[in-house]
Amino acid sequence: MSIAARSAYGLSRHARPVAIGVAVCAAAAAIAGAVALTRGEARGQTTVLAVTTIVAGCTFVAGGIVAWLRRPANLTGPLMMVAGFLLFGTSMAQAQQSLPFTVGLVIGAVPAAVVAQLVLAFPDGRLHSRWERLVVGAAYVDVVVLQVAMLMFMGFEHINGCPCPDNLLLIRDDARIHSALMGSQRVLTVVVTAALAVLLARRWRAASAPLRRAIAPVLWTTAVTIVLLVAAELTTDAVSRGLAAASRIALATVPIAYLLGLFTARIARVSVSDLVVELGRLPGPGQLRIALARALRDPSLELAYWIPDLETYVGLDGQPVDVGAAPGRAVTVVEHGGRRVAALIHDPALGENPELLGAVGSAAGLALENERLQAELRAQLEELRDSRARIVEAGDIARRRLERNLHDGAQQRLVALSVALGLAERKLTTDAQQAAAMLQAARGELTVALEELREIARGLHPAILSRGLAVALEGVAERSPVPVQLHVDGGARPPPSVEAAAYYVVSEALTNVARYAHASAATVRVARDAGRLRVEVSDDGLGGATITKGSGLQGLRDRVEAIGGHLEVQSQHGRGTRVIAVLPLQHRETTAETELGDANRD
Amino acid sequence: MRTVLIVDDHASFRAIARAALAERFTVVGEAVDGVEAVARATELRPDVVLVDVGLPGLDGFGVAAALATLDDPPQVVLTSSRDRRDLEPLIRDSPALGFVAKERLSATALGELLA
Repeated sequence: MSIAARSAYGLSRHARPVAIGVAVCAAAAAIAGAVALTRGEARGQTTVLAVTTIVAGCTFVAGGIVAWLRRPANLTGPLMMVAGFLLFGTSMAQAQQSLPFTVGLVIGAVPAAVVAQLVLAFPDGRLHSRWERLVVGAAYVDVVVLQVAMLMFMGFEHINGCPCPDNLLLIRDDARIHSALMGSQRVLTVVVTAALAVLLARRWRAASAPLRRAIAPVLWTTAVTIVLLVAAELTTDAVSRGLAAASRIALATVPIAYLLGLFTARIARVSVSDLVVELGRLPGPGQLRIALARALRDPSLELAYWIPDLETYVGLDGQPVDVGAAPGRAVTVVEHGGRRVAALIHDPALGENPELLGAVGSAAGLALENERLQAELRAQLEELRDSRARIVEAGDIARRRLERNLHDGAQQRLVALSVALGLAERKLTTDAQQAAAMLQAARGELTVALEELREIARGLHPAILSRGLAVALEGVAERSPVPVQLHVDGGARPPPSVEAAAYYVVSEALTNVARYAHASAATVRVARDAGRLRVEVSDDGLGGATITKGSGLQGLRDRVEAIGGHLEVQSQHGRGTRVIAVLPLQHRETTAETELGDANRD
Repeated sequence: MRTVLIVDDHASFRAIARAALAERFTVVGEAVDGVEAVARATELRPDVVLVDVGLPGLDGFGVAAALATLDDPPQVVLTSSRDRRDLEPLIRDSPALGFVAKERLSATALGELLA
């Protein structure tokens, strides 16, 4: 069993050393930050806030590393690591040198924007709508552009806790511009926070049950963090500092919430073991879907079974199923013993949990294969019923056409002939010369009628087949308006039904070549190959032929499949057409066939 | 001589019928389908209309029924290359004067039917 769609285990061999490197750097940064913070208590910082910031940084880096190792393709892990390092970096604002001090001031608010991006991009690491990109963009403008602009007009001489190192960005210390910029930063922060809340609320309302389960922990921890941050902004002094510290603690739980989402995959293994037990006593068809839906916790789960012969997916009822990704649905292909068995059509949120999908697919592989066989049988029965109906219908149509051709052709000519002969009979005594002319015309008419009757008789059954397939096909090639190269292998004669099928394949294919292909030449090859007769008709024409309902090719396929053979049409636009029929030579003959066959060979 | 309109969708039959009937009738026109047959009969006012049963669109029985509604209607004779027994119920219900098998058509046969 394997899951073809994607695998979480596609890590490069560099992943582990990189992760260890990141962890070491983070530890160093955390220690440096902690030292800097304890030294900078005077600048409005508290030890509590310092420690909680470092703790939040640690959980973000650690969570980021785990997330990245588990989902290398997902941007969430790297983003979490970035947020963690930025949190460490905020402690640089406590430094005694100008450069780290300035850098610390610039990045002070950036973690908030990264967290906004993280929560909106959860769980797949991508932003999904223009609104989401707009809100995240505005958040970065808020914490980077406006922050830098504000710092350009902000001196630190009069700030509590200073003297401070130089602000390297300072152009002019101007309290008016500085407070105007700070005011606009506040407004934008409120707008972005409100927009974020709306987007998250909308996402929650639209989310399916499995998706809600996945996003709930992240959503709630982020919401608590935001509420605490906003509260800290609205209050002052000790209360504000306490709320700020509390918001850091809440922030520290966001990565844990994400990891919790990951661990539900582990917890789900329990449901897989339940599934294995349940599969052992499935009562009947349809129950497998219910069992899998329960194990995956996705009630909308649908199953489609792969039918290799028809190259299509079908439902349990044998009817074709379109597994092309419908909006809001995802498809995972399940293989068993190296062969494609089925497709799970499920909620896209499950795609974030490939381990669970893999485990469930693996556990259910055999059961799915069993149901696939049932579905295949139904599909084949369905196809058989259809083809039988088509064969009967094709017979009716052929007889109707035959009656029409007889009536309009030979019958009309014979009628005219009868009248002409009657007339000539009476003229014989009065006008012998005119009678002779009439008889001559009548003979011409009779010749044409005979030719028409021959044509119809050949359409009924090619009597020439009694002389062998090669001779019969020579006749077909001879009558084709497009030049035909004919290669027919000798050997013992195939059963009559096989000869007839081969004859009709060549005859119909060459008729199509003459009618539609605009070909300059065609080739017919009939060869024996491992107990089968392979009939191939190819041309150098336009191509683009398909086996459509009610077409001559469909009729041919029915005829070929009725004797256990297989018909294929290869016809790309501009590349000519190739009709290939493979017919089994060991076809069991009916009594009627044998009798007729013997009669034909007289 | 009585005048005849020949109605058949097969040109070969119209030609041979024209030759066969010429002995005792004047062929005043031909028509290739039912609708044209009614139009030409109304216009030419022939004494006899020889009409094939199996016409495209309005068939021979339809033509016979339509012509029967004219003032001073022509005498309609049905003809066909099909087996008369298959058509018997339809012929019986038709206002047409009678039926002559196509292969037996001659001036004499038509004349006997009209007599």
